[in-house]
Amino acid sequence: MTEIKRRDFLKVLGLTGAGTGLVGCGQEPAKKLIPYLVQPEEIIPGIPTWYASTCRECPAGCGVHVKVREGRPIKVEGNPYHPVNAGRLCARGQAALQGLYNPDRITTPLRRLAGTGEFEPIDWDEAEAVLAGMLRTMRSEGRSDWLYLITDGAAGTLDRLFDTWMGAVGSPNRVIHESFDVEPLREANRLTFGVAEIPRYEIDGAELVVSFGAGFLETWVSPVQYARGFSASQTFRDGRAGRFIHIGPRLSLTGSNADEWVAAGPTGAMLIALAMARVLVAEGRAGARGAAVRPLVEPFTPERVAEAARLEAETIERLAHEFADARSSVALPPGFEGTDRNATAAHVAVNLLNYAAGNVGRTVRFGPNVVRRRAARVARMQEMVETMRGGGVQMLLVHGSDPVHTTPAALGFADALASVEMVVSFSSCMDETAARAHLILPDHTPLESWGDHEPEVGVRTLMQPTINPIFDTKSTGDVLLSLAARLGGEVAGSFDWPEYRAYLRDSWQEVGREFAPGSDFEVFWRGALSAGGVWRQVGTQSVTLSPAVAGVSFDEPTLDGDASTPYALLTYPSPVLYDGRSADRPWLQELPDPVTKIVWNSWIEMHPEVAERLGIGTGDVVAVSSPHGQLEVPAFVYHGIRPDTVAIPIGQGHEHLGRWARGRGVNPLALLPAAADEASGASAWLSTQVALAATGVSVTLVSTQGSHDDLGREIAEVVSVAAAAEAEEHAREEIERAPEALVEAAEDADPKSPYRWGMAIDLSSCIGCSACVTACYAENNIPVVGAELCAQGREMAWLRVESYYEHVADGAHGNGHGVSQAADDESAPLVVHLPALCQHCGNAPCEPVCPVYATYHNPEGLNIQVYNRCVGTRYCSNNCPYKARRFEWFDYEFPFPLNLQLNPDVTVREKGVMEKCTFCVQRIMKARNDANAEGRDVRDGEVTTACAQTCPAEAIVFGNLRDPNSRVSRLARSGRAYHMLGELNTRPAVTYLKAVSRGSEEA
Amino acid sequence: MASVAGPARTPFAKVSRDIIGALWDSDLRYRMMMLILLTVIGWAGVAWIYQIKYGMGTAGITHPVMWGVYITNFVFWVGIAHSGTLISAILYLLRSGWRTTINRAAEAMTIFAVMTAGLFPLIHLGRVWYFYFLAPYPNQRLLWPNFRSPLIWDFFAISTYFTISLLFWYSGLIPDLATIRDKLKGAPGLWGRFKEKLYSYLSLGWGGTDTQWRNYRRAYLYMAAIATPLVLSVHSVVSWDFAMAITPGWHSTIFAPYFVAGAIFSGIAMVITLSVPFRWALGLEDYITEYHYDNMGKLLLLTSLIVGYAYIAEYFMAWYSGDPAEWESFRWRAVGDYMGPFVIMTTCNVVIPLLCFARRIRRNIAAMFVISIFVNIGMWYERFVIIVTSLAHEYSPGAWGLYKPSWVELSITAGSFAWFLFWFMLFAKTLPAISITEVKESIAEGVWSPGDKKEEA
Repeated sequence: MTEIKRRDFLKVLGLTGAGTGLVGCGQEPAKKLIPYLVQPEEIIPGIPTWYASTCRECPAGCGVHVKVREGRPIKVEGNPYHPVNAGRLCARGQAALQGLYNPDRITTPLRRLAGTGEFEPIDWDEAEAVLAGMLRTMRSEGRSDWLYLITDGAAGTLDRLFDTWMGAVGSPNRVIHESFDVEPLREANRLTFGVAEIPRYEIDGAELVVSFGAGFLETWVSPVQYARGFSASQTFRDGRAGRFIHIGPRLSLTGSNADEWVAAGPTGAMLIALAMARVLVAEGRAGARGAAVRPLVEPFTPERVAEAARLEAETIERLAHEFADARSSVALPPGFEGTDRNATAAHVAVNLLNYAAGNVGRTVRFGPNVVRRRAARVARMQEMVETMRGGGVQMLLVHGSDPVHTTPAALGFADALASVEMVVSFSSCMDETAARAHLILPDHTPLESWGDHEPEVGVRTLMQPTINPIFDTKSTGDVLLSLAARLGGEVAGSFDWPEYRAYLRDSWQEVGREFAPGSDFEVFWRGALSAGGVWRQVGTQSVTLSPAVAGVSFDEPTLDGDASTPYALLTYPSPVLYDGRSADRPWLQELPDPVTKIVWNSWIEMHPEVAERLGIGTGDVVAVSSPHGQLEVPAFVYHGIRPDTVAIPIGQGHEHLGRWARGRGVNPLALLPAAADEASGASAWLSTQVALAATGVSVTLVSTQGSHDDLGREIAEVVSVAAAAEAEEHAREEIERAPEALVEAAEDADPKSPYRWGMAIDLSSCIGCSACVTACYAENNIPVVGAELCAQGREMAWLRVESYYEHVADGAHGNGHGVSQAADDESAPLVVHLPALCQHCGNAPCEPVCPVYATYHNPEGLNIQVYNRCVGTRYCSNNCPYKARRFEWFDYEFPFPLNLQLNPDVTVREKGVMEKCTFCVQRIMKARNDANAEGRDVRDGEVTTACAQTCPAEAIVFGNLRDPNSRVSRLARSGRAYHMLGELNTRPAVTYLKAVSRGSEEA
Repeated sequence: MASVAGPARTPFAKVSRDIIGALWDSDLRYRMMMLILLTVIGWAGVAWIYQIKYGMGTAGITHPVMWGVYITNFVFWVGIAHSGTLISAILYLLRSGWRTTINRAAEAMTIFAVMTAGLFPLIHLGRVWYFYFLAPYPNQRLLWPNFRSPLIWDFFAISTYFTISLLFWYSGLIPDLATIRDKLKGAPGLWGRFKEKLYSYLSLGWGGTDTQWRNYRRAYLYMAAIATPLVLSVHSVVSWDFAMAITPGWHSTIFAPYFVAGAIFSGIAMVITLSVPFRWALGLEDYITEYHYDNMGKLLLLTSLIVGYAYIAEYFMAWYSGDPAEWESFRWRAVGDYMGPFVIMTTCNVVIPLLCFARRIRRNIAAMFVISIFVNIGMWYERFVIIVTSLAHEYSPGAWGLYKPSWVELSITAGSFAWFLFWFMLFAKTLPAISITEVKESIAEGVWSPGDKKEEA
């Protein structure tokens, strides 16, 4: 008789029990967590490592800190110690991550097959051998100069390597092409002051800023730096706020921050500047400088220029008086979109105005000049295109530039490429030029690269790789060195570095001698790497009026076209996509244009009168034709543009560049002639007129904002300077009387909690640039949903920047997810940019209605959303007056390798749950844990949200409302403080500070 | 039952014969109809599965209009569910004899409408697989639903209403079920024996004794008394889903009475809509006559006037309150992007029912049928207008947006009508659609007898 032993019984019981348990767990596939076999030294799981580097998304060269988790860069933030951007970063800079992780990157070297024209992958060795072989033949046949190299205008070691390499190979044909160059300014400074440099405009020190069109808050020269300066000048502080007058035909993002918009004619800047200078001189307000300026400006009386500038003489006089009356002032030049055929003269005119007002040396400072390589003149480009056509270019190398997309179609660059035997692109993505290349040798993206940059005099910055190359790419520096080695002989002799990194390091010996003379290079190098570069103060260089200025002719520039093409065409770099190089970044495509709030498309801005004349409205497609080309683009009816001008942003209209950019919008360069500003040779963006015709076709132009009129509700509030000063004075007394008092919102947390998190947003600082929106996407794993879903109102942005036009014409609201008409009053357009997010209300309407407690108030006053508990009734969103909540309508994809960017500290939400701004609770948790470990409370400034961290204007301040001395508490007690829709008694944790207007009535 | 049938020549026997005769035998028309309904339900099921698989984005609801056609349907069907209990319980308590021929169908309608309405909160959930989070069940996490949320009140209100309505309906059926059982005694064949067994179980041993009648009457009265406040409470609670929110256009104290009146209005309309084809198909023209439509017409008119008053009161309050958000919401409701639905709503609910002032129209069955269809449409749009326009045009103008239903929502809406009709048609062939007992009582009490149109009432 067999007996079951106790032990056997237990074994069977155990096994079946475990088996049952396992079966019960079988619903979800097992996911294995594999620990490091050998722990890398620098990586501690869960702890980020930060690397300093340099942003290369535009020529400004901001310093960045890259947050790397477990070997993957997950966020790019500004380097707080960097002289250019002081810790702030724009949307484009942050989207560098999506350049790195773009699923449409070129993953391996490609060669075009002769027969089909398709690309086939080849390996690096073969690719370099092909090139070296061809170069050797060219050299042996004495045709070294049949080699051309096109690069961008960044200064640094790579730039020097290009020069040396081209020299060694024996070709003089290096062409520097920047889509938007500053040559008119450089040339104007040479003519006016004998200094061919780009100075720094000290906006922060100016009480009155007059801009003749430069988009200095969006794209011009160094937008983050200028945004910082602008905020310092314009933010209401101590009873005062600066005044900003925008002169130009269109209300750009920059212009939308103006206290007054002077809607001058499209080419009026030069004449207005001259006339203003003349008023100054004639009234003797230019002091001793007047004598020198007088003969130059004598003919330009306000009355005489009024008609050509399309502006009343009285206005010009008033502007001149204001300019002279201001304690400190600065005039900014026309910038890119104002570059017409006589742009240098316009820049000279602004120089004269600054000079006459005594600003040169004070608010216009030579010395800390912007460093840029001199861009090729349009004539040089034309010459190259001719040579290409004639078969005189055998090999064309293109690096850091996409001339097919960024030169006017009339230049014929794309066609001429066909006559080049070998076009080599070093692009890491399939841009328009790469798509026409014969060989693509993909460079690393900036975040994978070694490199350096010189944004301005006295600032040398470094780039270091933050991740191993994701794909089979190779740094172009390395390619050049390896080619040199392959060529052998004297060429190889000039380059005895094994790799570009060593070349870079060596070239920094000199920087070391300049910046840290006498110190050990290794110490210097390591210090520079960890700081992101080296910088020093640069003194002001004094300049005087140069005699050359007398030769400047102030002729009115011409625009192509005649009476049949009645509208001046303004093309401007998109604040979001720049020249189009960023168009493949989904964050940026889905980032609403700060002015129109349109996503994923191009548009043509036109005044309502023009639209009425054409019988069309927003979204109706218009045929635009210039003497040089034509295209069709949907209309955006906009009060912020003159009736004689239309505007199309540059940046879209790619046929290539990956899934997000391809086939989207139009490239207005198709309409432009290959015209140049005559003196400087820069591309004349403002050079043609166009005719418009309705096509009868209508499309959905997707805008993310419903209405631009706040209907006088307590949403976007504006006060005058006087009212603000009075209120601030009152608030100051109140703070003095009770310095330790807390704001009401501080009560809305557990009585025992030391914290009530809160935020203050100063609308007098906010410029609407939307960098915060992208920061939020990056930090919080917010999915990008695409144009179609945006059209249905399903964008997922936790933070949106709304723009409200305080003087709004009738009927400008309420057409839903199609575009609403942005509108303003002709006299005083006043735009308030308002970052709107979850207000973390103390008395939150969303909380009581949730049937399952998925949203509730935590002890630190945060309005928490528990994704796991949410069943998706969406009642909370219906009851949220701020409409801050977003719903996961679908499961959204992060196609490889975009998924590598996801922040491991934040849940990737599944379909069917509600989500919203968390005040970056993961950052709060970290700060609190750190503080707890040290047995103290979190200090003010120790934790901040992603949006506040990046804000170039420092408009957003985050902190603890229970600490009466925190910055946020102080701001919340400001006289300008108000709560959005405060009368609903939601007790928000977000305090807005009213925008301050210095409209023309106060001037 | 036969014992109370009285002499054979009385109409009592005819009543039993007519009503029971309409049962079971289904013709081709009926079967085709059922097939169509099942197809539509099946299609809606496919749409729902599609929505569960791919996400709520397959529906048209969006930011900021997070509730759309689903909640419209929910409120619509809860509203439909009101007439049953009203006609059965309240009119019973008020001793309105004319209710006897329509109360059974109205009660059945109530049950099926609640069954339909109850699906929508599930269909509209983002994560329907966690629907049980809404129920107060004991769990390790010690998590309970949020009793402050009107959605939880809804959960209780609807389930209570359903339970009471079902019991009330069933108790009313017991004597009739016994009548059928008696008729079926000795029915031939397997099917016949099954039916006999089934009805004898369902009739719970009813023998028609005096004691049984006395207890039954008492129980029915008490149930009517319990059910009556529910008529008011259920739709009041449903209205609080909106009124408790701070959304302009929703946040209003008038909502409870306004919704209750609207519910009764729509319920009566649905009774009229259903009874017309139903009396014709089952050959019950003698039982449901002009007299009944006349009375229902009066009720329709009364509730229409209340609803019309509520519309005006809403506008008056929006204007009188001086709240710009509220006023803007109402202004836009009338002249904004959803002007169409608004016009449909006011025309169908306020203007067209005014025809019921004319006795001639009230007594014209075809006219009443048409009017009732308009009211059904109007009341559906009323809920649509309240829900969608309020959400689309809230406090923050920057976040205004529009909503358009998707094919998934439309399919499921169509499916809900099919689902409701399917149950109703099943009911019409299996249970006495008119209360045999009560009709006989009416005859006995001389209130009304079949065929009597009470022309000069």
